[in-house]
Amino acid sequence: MTDTFAFFVGGVLPYAAALAFVAGMAYRFYSWWAAPQPGKLTLFPAADSTLRGVLAETLFFPGLFRGDRSLWAFSWLFHATLALVFLGHVRVFTGLLDAVLMRMGWSSAGIDRMSATVGGIAGILLFATGLVLLLRRFALRRVREISGFPDIFAPLLLLAVIFTGDLMRFGAHFDLEQTRRWAASLLVLQPVVPADGFFLLHALAAMLLIMYIPFSKILHFGGIFFTQALIKRS
Amino acid sequence: MSQTKVGVSEVPHRQNDARPALSSKQPAVAAAKPPAGPAATDRDRGKEVIEAIQAIRGGPRVLRLYMEMCARCGTCATQCPVYFGKPEAGYNPVLRSDLIRRLYRRYSTPAGKLLGSLNGDCRLDAGILSEWVESFYSCTGCRRCATFCPMGIDNSVITRKGRGIVDKLGLTPETMKKVVQISLQTGNTDGASPEAFRAAIQFLEEEMREEHGVDIRIPVDVQGADYFYIPPSGDVLVNPEATMGVAKVFHVLGMADRWTMSSKCFDGANYGLFTGNDADMKADNKAYVEEAKRLGSRVMLMGECGHAYRIMKMMMEPQKWWGDLPFKIVNCMEFTAHQIRSGKLQFDKSKNHRPVTYHDPCNFSRSCGITDEPRLILEASCQDFREMYPNRAMNWCCGGGGGLSAMDDIQQFRMEVSGRKKLAQVRETGAKYVATACSNCKRQLGQLMEHYKDEVGVGGVHDMLSRAILINGRAADRTSYE
Repeated sequence: MTDTFAFFVGGVLPYAAALAFVAGMAYRFYSWWAAPQPGKLTLFPAADSTLRGVLAETLFFPGLFRGDRSLWAFSWLFHATLALVFLGHVRVFTGLLDAVLMRMGWSSAGIDRMSATVGGIAGILLFATGLVLLLRRFALRRVREISGFPDIFAPLLLLAVIFTGDLMRFGAHFDLEQTRRWAASLLVLQPVVPADGFFLLHALAAMLLIMYIPFSKILHFGGIFFTQALIKRS
Repeated sequence: MSQTKVGVSEVPHRQNDARPALSSKQPAVAAAKPPAGPAATDRDRGKEVIEAIQAIRGGPRVLRLYMEMCARCGTCATQCPVYFGKPEAGYNPVLRSDLIRRLYRRYSTPAGKLLGSLNGDCRLDAGILSEWVESFYSCTGCRRCATFCPMGIDNSVITRKGRGIVDKLGLTPETMKKVVQISLQTGNTDGASPEAFRAAIQFLEEEMREEHGVDIRIPVDVQGADYFYIPPSGDVLVNPEATMGVAKVFHVLGMADRWTMSSKCFDGANYGLFTGNDADMKADNKAYVEEAKRLGSRVMLMGECGHAYRIMKMMMEPQKWWGDLPFKIVNCMEFTAHQIRSGKLQFDKSKNHRPVTYHDPCNFSRSCGITDEPRLILEASCQDFREMYPNRAMNWCCGGGGGLSAMDDIQQFRMEVSGRKKLAQVRETGAKYVATACSNCKRQLGQLMEHYKDEVGVGGVHDMLSRAILINGRAADRTSYE
């Protein structure tokens, strides 16, 4: 792995990814918010509160639960685990969470053990459910006939992120001090990039994914609030 | 009651006439011939379509979101009555919506403009457009997909946009075009004149006198009556028992002089909703709102017609098409259910001893939230009321939604594809009568039962009420119907 590649992944891409993601999502949100919506599209039974209806739908997917039970099981597990892993990544960038936990009486080794167990299980679960969801696309006729290149590319990219993340987790020990230093250095615009190969692969895949989100169907990660609000409006 | 007795319609009827089925080789929908003249070239039509697609960027918000937000999980297909009936790509809701999405990506997004037709086939010749017509008129617009879609995408919105574009090009199927034209010309989708309407009403009053031995009036054009009753014209001309039921309710309540019908506006049906043409929909609607104002009514009492009530209650009123209204909009089932709850109506249930089930019209259940009221009326007036499953907001479409029920040219599709799930549902109940509150559902269900030779009657909710309601302590003196 050359230094140039490391610098590109750890020193250039993060800024590009952040810019693309923030600008892309802001543009989407703005364009949706700005487009006029003359009428309500309430779908009954209407929730007595729009907010509660939208939150229930985004947190637990009750519509999908009633509509396609097995898809619900895999996709809810996938998304819930993804959220957990996302939270876990707070530790990657800052020691803040560790400090709080230590205040609460956790030992440093205890935190690492908990992280290894929960993170390890989550990493495997995420890859397994993601793979099932991707394979489902080929297995079921009704999904196969609506699947195009973007529908395969997005999950593949996501699986690449998960897989490289798992490589880091289950490969040689990776000291989080490196990424915390890296995060801090990014903030002061003087990037110091960890030289770990798995880290660079994982970061590359993750950065590409983040840039791709506003322009792909993973957009639903923000758009779902808008669409659900339209039909859950009481 | 014999349906031929009320032969007042001046145009060929949309009722249960058995037309020869199409051969399976024919396309489901014969698109109307494109209008002649220089404006009808492929290029001009293509330009018009692209302009309509580009306009989506300006709203409504819902359409823009639906263009950008599908995760393509395939859940809608598992919940669609059409795809259930025939699971093939042409009927997959996602691919139908893609007809518009593909063009949106190509002509309305920076990536599309940059990458050109990499997004897929974007040709727009006459052949493609006739596929559009066929596809958008094979969606019943029932909104069942939206109930289950994890993204909350309502494919009926995209279908309506597609139909609107097709309509602008003059390619709306002739059957639908004709219904809209007749409705705009005569104020009702059957093309009946005020005289024909009065004759039908007179006939119904005679029927009720025969049934009960007393005069039960159906007031017409009464200025200052509190309630202005607007059924679908089918409930006056084709299945008039529901209108008799409503008249009997007013009679029992001693309110016979407080309601009226209009000899000009007696059909809430509004096919502008189905052809995607907002101008037609509003023009049709305006006449009814003005008539209510002219009559000075306090309540616009909508009949057993799901889409008519939906347009009034969920679209016209909240969107203030005609500003603030001097009247309330109430459905007749809400009105009657309220009277039953108050103990003001009594029934002889033995008059309806056969098992009865209720089919939730999509527009009432999913789009207006009216599900308890019809059940209350049926349970009060029938001995053996049975639910079909799933029901209420989860109910399956009859297969004739979105105006398809009126299209004889796709009867085979309605019988063998879109209506299949409903047929199975009805059979499972073992009911001998399906009550439903929608003329289009009634027509589709009636044809289904006939097509599959099931001996199951089809009619309205107030029909059952009409047969069992006690007037001066006695129910209608009649034993045979239909």
